[in-house]
This record gives sequence, structure tokens and C-alpha cells, in this order.
Amino acid sequence: MRMLRRVGIVVLVMAASAAGLPAKIYIQWTQSSMPAPRVLGVSNLVIPWSDEAQSLLANAKKQGYRVYWEATLAQSQAVAEASANSGVAGLMLQGSTAEETQLEEAASKLRVKYPKLKIMVLSGAGKQPEMRGWLVFQRDGILQVSSPTSQPWLDQNLSMVRYERAFERGQAPLYSFSWDVSDPLIKENGPNPGSYALAVAEAGAFHADLVLQLHEAQQKGLATGDPQTLEDWARVRRTISFYERGDGEKEAAAVAVLADDYDTCYEEINLMARHNIPFQVFESAEVKGQDLAGFSVVIAFAALGSELTKQIQAFAQQGGTAVLTNLPGNYPWDSDSGGKKTDHAVTYTVGKGRVIELGEQVSDPETFAQDIRRLMVKQQVPVSLWNSLTTLVAEYPGNKPGEASVELVNYDEEPTDVQVQVRGNFVSARYENPERGCCQELKLSHVDGFTDFVVPNVVSGGRVHLSTAGNQKPEARPTRSGE
Amino acid sequence: MRCNRLLVRAALLLPITLLPASPPQSNTKLVHKTKYSMGTVYEIAAYDQSPAHAERAIEEAFAEIARLDEVLSNYKPESELSQLNRNAHFHRVRVSPDLYRVIEESLKYSRLSEGKFDITVAPLVDLWKAALRGERGPSEADQQEARACAGYEKIELIPPDTIEFHSPCMRIDVGSIGKGYAVDRAVEILRRNGINSALVDAGQSSIYGVGAPPGKPAWEVHLRDPSKRVDPTVMLRDNSVSTSEQTPASLLGNENAGHIIDPDNGKPLESKYALSIIAKTATASDALSTTLLLVGPEKGKEIVKQIAEAAAIWVSRDGETQRVTTGPEIRLAGELQKEQGELKTVRDGESVRSSREKQ
Repeated sequence: MRMLRRVGIVVLVMAASAAGLPAKIYIQWTQSSMPAPRVLGVSNLVIPWSDEAQSLLANAKKQGYRVYWEATLAQSQAVAEASANSGVAGLMLQGSTAEETQLEEAASKLRVKYPKLKIMVLSGAGKQPEMRGWLVFQRDGILQVSSPTSQPWLDQNLSMVRYERAFERGQAPLYSFSWDVSDPLIKENGPNPGSYALAVAEAGAFHADLVLQLHEAQQKGLATGDPQTLEDWARVRRTISFYERGDGEKEAAAVAVLADDYDTCYEEINLMARHNIPFQVFESAEVKGQDLAGFSVVIAFAALGSELTKQIQAFAQQGGTAVLTNLPGNYPWDSDSGGKKTDHAVTYTVGKGRVIELGEQVSDPETFAQDIRRLMVKQQVPVSLWNSLTTLVAEYPGNKPGEASVELVNYDEEPTDVQVQVRGNFVSARYENPERGCCQELKLSHVDGFTDFVVPNVVSGGRVHLSTAGNQKPEARPTRSGE
Repeated sequence: MRCNRLLVRAALLLPITLLPASPPQSNTKLVHKTKYSMGTVYEIAAYDQSPAHAERAIEEAFAEIARLDEVLSNYKPESELSQLNRNAHFHRVRVSPDLYRVIEESLKYSRLSEGKFDITVAPLVDLWKAALRGERGPSEADQQEARACAGYEKIELIPPDTIEFHSPCMRIDVGSIGKGYAVDRAVEILRRNGINSALVDAGQSSIYGVGAPPGKPAWEVHLRDPSKRVDPTVMLRDNSVSTSEQTPASLLGNENAGHIIDPDNGKPLESKYALSIIAKTATASDALSTTLLLVGPEKGKEIVKQIAEAAAIWVSRDGETQRVTTGPEIRLAGELQKEQGELKTVRDGESVRSSREKQ
């Protein structure tokens, strides 16, 4: 770990991302007629491979769209061949989460064979973002379980995006999800504009790419120019446009997660994301010498080889806290002292820090996430929210010193005020959002090296530009819409 | 990437058993809506012949809950409660009927529990909440200072609508009763709108069953079971269940805190139990759930015996159960038959007598 820690200067860790540019929204289209790109607000269409795919492609190209074909693993070879001279922009391979390794292998081969064709893997692990209740509806009744008061359950894709960022090489995290149409009204009319806007805001805030499935009713309404559909879609279009811009490339993080398999850590990182614990995922074999420097906590879900063990030991010796989850072994710190035993874990003092060995699988991911929150050194936490249980946050340090931006996503259907605390002494905070544009100056207060402010009335999402240099207009941001 | 989110979610919702099959009456439709308020999700599921009518009634009920949040919130600086907390040390404050009723009810349970239920422990709760967030645990001096502020007997109610604090630093927090009160007001509104079959849920901790679902005698609710062995269930019909449990112990061995504070020592309660209580109103069940967890089974049973149409169950992490009832029945998994005057419960494989037979 860097010497800077020793003199009390905390280094915010910039999470290395494969692609930190703003979100790119693709619309999945299945209907024969389609509106102009300016109506839809996007220029990238994804057309699932079918008998009608060629005619849809012709139609879409006539309208000026950039078209990607979506194909299953079994279809991939044939669709790639068909793509080669058809003028499609690329190919997205999609399948179940169990097929993902095969999809990656197929994509690699196709990239070699068709170097001019953009080949992407579309993750099937996405889920409809929403705030959920706790009642479980079954065919023959409602299941209800009493418990102590529960925080709102947020179905979110942040943990998956952070995981994908560590493992997907050569492309930004790209995912899709299917809408829950169990409600008869939604089945008939499609999701409401707020649901679409939230999906776009989530992908945008977390710098991921999204293939947004558009309900048949909305496709038809947009294609025919139905006034109500157009009015509803205007909100979604504003949101898409808003997230074509974005600040910073790398998300700030205080916790490093070492993992090799999504299954072994899924629920833990899901709850960590839900509790706004800023973490970065590393593939354990890829961790390099200084990768762990600057983090407050390292959590290992993957077996430690000798090299990684040395890195963990060095990390702890410099004052960090390492947590090993159900990874029995003979580690160098085991012999240093007896360790402090509790019901579930043994804590070893290592240099200025410690290693905590959890001797079992995580039985309660909620408690585990709360534990990790408590273990983080407060001065190393880049951003925190208060009394904002329906909101997730990500902080992106700016490309220039003294600048940062904070992205907020509200999963509640109703607007909410969000109390934010950001590490650093900023003197300007300007809030922009899809509904009201740019920018509202926020009132700041400063406590112990942190800047506090309240973001009012966050609908689906919004962005706060922070600066240590007073009022500055947000500069033109990078955009991927013109790719 | 591989995952099984459904299984994971199901695991979090354990215990799960299928409800007995019984098709709903064909002329009613189920409407379900959620609303975030008071730091949790309120849910209402209602059956009615007209979904549009049910939807309007639910929205009206949610509007009432939102209105009460503006009255009872401890977080919102402009809530009526926050204003009371700022001013009632200096002079008498006239308050709305809702706030007066909530505080009046709270004091009733404070007296019933001899001070174990106490809405004046807010300064202590705040100290320990900071510890839960990862900040340092409060010092003894901090705790002593906060404890000096507390004490329900320092609240003076001057009927019909005035309140004064006889402590210069007292603050009250109605989080242990406010959600139940909001559920009761929502139920009133549903009934006023002619909804006779509904389940009203405040973040799983207070649940009221209005009437019964179509084709069934009552709403079946599974109760919190930290042992995952005994699966207690209750049938709700025009009554409420609330559940309390201390924040789970840390897995990683860092210092434990907890959101339920024992007023006797000003520290987080240490309890191995999850407690569920059935009562006629959600206000009562909400307040009693905290109270009974704090006092434990022995004293708790004596309290419940003083309340008509109530029942409570304490379930420990190792599957020990203790029950008491003055009416409603709480059943455990595998408890297929009830012998007159006696409920059987299983603790570590041993058959023990429940509290009910002692009555």
C-alpha cells in the first residue's frame, strides 16, 4: 500500500473500468413498421434474429438506424455469416447465464473470423429495476411473512454491472432484462414511462449499456404516432438524451471484491450494492501488485494462491482490513497470533491492519453487508446517502483534479429528496436531471473533510457536478450516441 | 455468469409453505399496490368487484399514510413531531389529534410495561444508530447524558390537545408505534370505501387483515422464525400482527449494536428471541411487539393476559418457543391437532407445554 496512507492522506481508488463512458441505450424492435430515430430518441436498434429479421433490417436502414442483430448461441454462426454483407452494425449473442462462457468463446471466434463486425455478448443476468414490496403472490393466494421492519427491497443491476466490468473485456457491461407483465394492465399496455425511465437512468448512472425491450403496444403506438404513446415516450426520450452525457470514467470505490464465480458472491455483492457500499470487483487471478492500494476493505470470495496471499498480507500490514469468506487454509497470519475468535469468525492482527476469516459461508448477506459497512474506514468512503432508502449512488472523480460527479438513481415511483455526503471539500454543487435540465446550485455544508448537501426531488435519476473551484458550467461531456 | 436469484430471494423470505388451494370467488379481483413511506414499503392487497374502485381506495389509504408521515416523522425537520421536539421543552405545544393520540397510546404502553416501552429514548437510539452505521460506539458519558434526557413520565399530556416536556433535552421517537397507527388509519379508509377484504402491510413488521380473502376463513400469515424450524402461523381476520427482533449479531465479529434500546440500561437489547404479537389494532400490536421483546417471555405473558383477544409467541434461534393467548391461535409447523387446553410445541426434540395451559 502506498506510503500516502501513513501520513494520513487517503487515496480514493479509481475503479478500473473497461469502459467508463456514458451509457449507450439500444432499443429492441420487433414490429414491422417503426418511427424515425428522432421520435425514438435512439439510433441503435436491436432486432432479434428471425425470418423477418432481413425485412426489418431493410426497413430500419431506410429510416437511418444502426442495426444490431440479436442471436442465440445456436444461431450465432449463421447470423454472423448473414451479417457479413448485410450492412448490420453488429451482432449481440445472448443466452442464459449458464451459457455465458460458451457465448464468450463463440464471440471470440467470431471476432477473429469477422473482424469488421462488432460482436458483443449480451448478459442475461439483468433484472427489471424496481422497488418491490414483500407480499408474494401465488396462484392460490398471497404469502405473507412477518418480520422486523424491512427496508425497501430494490431490484437493481449495479452489482451485476460492477461484476461484469471486471470480467467482460473489450466491451462495456451490456445487459437486457424482461419486463414483469404479471399485471394484466401492464401485459396489455406495457410498462409505464416511469419504469422505462428508471431502466435508462440506472444503466446511465452506472455507465452500462442497455438493450431496452420495448413492449409491443408501445412499439405500435410509436410507429403509428399515437399521441398518448408519444407523450409518454417523451419522458423516456429525455432520460435517454440526458444519459448520453456523463462525467468521469472510473467509479470511486472503498472496497475491493476478489471473485471468480458470480454464484459464490452474488447475494453478498447484491446487498452491498443495495446498501450503497462502493466496491470494485477484481478477477482474483488478475490482481496486480498495487491494485489493492487505497482500498479500505478487501473481501476475498475466491481461493487465495500464494501470490494473492502475499498481497492480502501486505494490504493488512499497511492498515487495511481483509475479509476471507469460507476460505480455509494455512495462511501466514495464522501463526502470528491466536486470533480473536467470535461465533462465526477469527480476527488476526496483521501489522497495522487485520485479516478476518469467516469460517463458513455467508448465512445472512444483509448482516454481512452491514458488517462491511462498519468495517470501512469512514475517511475512505467516497460517498454516502442518508435517509434515502430508495436511492443508489455512484461517484465518479472528474478528469481534472478537484472535480467529481455524483449519479443518483431513485427506484421509488415518487420523487425523493436525497441527503448526500461526499468526501472532499467542494465549494460548488450543481444538480441537473432529465426533467429540468441543468443546473440547480445546491447549498453545501462541510464537516470533517466531507461535503454534505441535499438533492431535491430526484425523480428517476440525476447528476450532481462537484467542484472545489467554485461555480463552473459542466463542460461538454463525452457521448457515445454518435458511434 | 451464473446465478439463481429466485432461489436467493425465496431463501430470504423463508419460511415458505404453500397456502391451501382454494380458488378465489370469480367476481372479485385482486389489486395490489406499494408505497414507500416512513422508511419502509407499505403494501395493500385488496379484493373487490371493481379493481378501479379498489385502486382508488388504496390510493386514498396511501395518501393518509403519507400525511401521517408528515406528522410523525423523526427525520423530517418540518414534521409536527420534529416541531414538538424543538419546542415542548420551552412551552406547552398544541398538537394535532393524530400526534396527541399516538403519544397518549405510547404512554399507555409505557405504564403497562413499567417503562420498558418508552418513546423518549430517541437520544439513545440516535447514539446507537451511529454505531450501527460504523461510527464509534457511544462513550459511557454520552450514554449517561442521553439517558438523563429520557423518561416517559417527563411527558405531560394536557387534554385535549396539548403536550409539554419536563426535560430540557428530551426528544421523542414514535417509530415503535407510528407504523401501526398508520396501518390502522389506512384500514379505516379502506373500510369507509367499502373494502372488506384486504391485507395492509407496513414493511412486514405490522400487518392487518381486513376480513378474509375470497374463499378462505382468514389471511394466513407466517411469523418470523429465526430458527427456521417451527414456522409459526396465524390466521388474521380483523386483527393485526407485529413482529420485533433485535438487529442480527455481526458475522464478522465487529462490535454489535442494535436498534432496540433497553431503557433500563440505555444499551442495545440483548435478546435471542423474535417476538410476534397479535392484537385487535395495529397500533396495539406495533407498540406491544417492542414492549414484549424488551420484557421477555416471563413478564410478557403477564402483560398479554391483561389484553383481550391477543396472543404472542417468542421464538429463539434454536427453535425454543413460548406462547400465550387470550384468543387468537398461533400454530407451529406439524401441529396438526390441538388438544383441549393444551398446545404442544417442540424444543430441541423435547415436547414441552406452552404457556397457554398455565392460564
